[in-house]
Amino acid sequence: MKNIILLSILIAILAAFFASANPDGLEKVAESLGFIESGVERSSVMTDYTVPFISNPGISTSAAGILGILLILGVFWLTTLVLKKASR
Amino acid sequence: MHIPDGFIDPKISYGLMGAAVAVLGYCLAKVREALTALAPQPALAGVGKGIKSLAGKSHRMLTKFGEQKLYLMGMVAALVFAAQMFNFPVDKGTSGHLIGGVLAVVLLGPFAGTIALAAVVIIQSLFFADGGLVALGANVINMAGLGALTGFYIYAGLRKHLTEWLSIALAAWCSVMLAASAASLEIGLSGTFALGTVMLAMLKVHSVIGVAEALITVVLVKTFRKLVPGGEAER
Repeated sequence: MKNIILLSILIAILAAFFASANPDGLEKVAESLGFIESGVERSSVMTDYTVPFISNPGISTSAAGILGILLILGVFWLTTLVLKKASR
Repeated sequence: MHIPDGFIDPKISYGLMGAAVAVLGYCLAKVREALTALAPQPALAGVGKGIKSLAGKSHRMLTKFGEQKLYLMGMVAALVFAAQMFNFPVDKGTSGHLIGGVLAVVLLGPFAGTIALAAVVIIQSLFFADGGLVALGANVINMAGLGALTGFYIYAGLRKHLTEWLSIALAAWCSVMLAASAASLEIGLSGTFALGTVMLAMLKVHSVIGVAEALITVVLVKTFRKLVPGGEAER
């Protein structure tokens, strides 16, 4: 199982450095048809997959990706823990 | 494919939020059923507590299988999250990324897979501002409800006639087209832009993105099976 976590982290890091920065399908359609302005820009703790205090874009996005992966694993592990406790 | 706030009319957004809660509630109930077992009542446990305690207040407990499956759901969700970060170029000036619906349901089964995908979409919206908050229901319906859950039934239907890899690839492509159609419908019905035009443009670009989705899904399913032998729990 550790292998999958490592693979996910590897993919996130590769994505941070090599992913296309172009708008995705939906954004592109919204841009070319001219309704992109209807969209509301929102911010959150790691807006656009960056960690605010890391300035290097590649490293910032890698960190955001790794944090996201840990967050997701954490949610499922916590659920398991709570359910195990409740089972006793 | 993550719809930001503002593209969809609030009324439609709230309706879709309700639909998302219903779909996820159903999937959670199904997953709970599969991952837990009725706790065996110890003999004479009810003695002295009156007849009430005997009258079946049973509680469900997580099985060993259930525990493993939950860990697996976390792994698959993490993999989908990471893979979604990888935008690949399609056409000029446009990129696409995996949705991972069919990936999740092939590895986890329909209900656990849908939950895993919904978890990804919810965390992306809350922590990464990827996809709107009001539009969260729409995004869960498009990517988890249609991309994953419906994707599973497309896969299962195709699997009766085709080889596994062809079924996975075709289902992955269809799931992207389905999610793109739904997103277009939501935007069109909201009056943000003319439905037909949005639909045509969305399906055109996603027919290409879908091909990448199919390829990536097949590669990641193969990789997952190699890395976690026997990891695919029964549905």
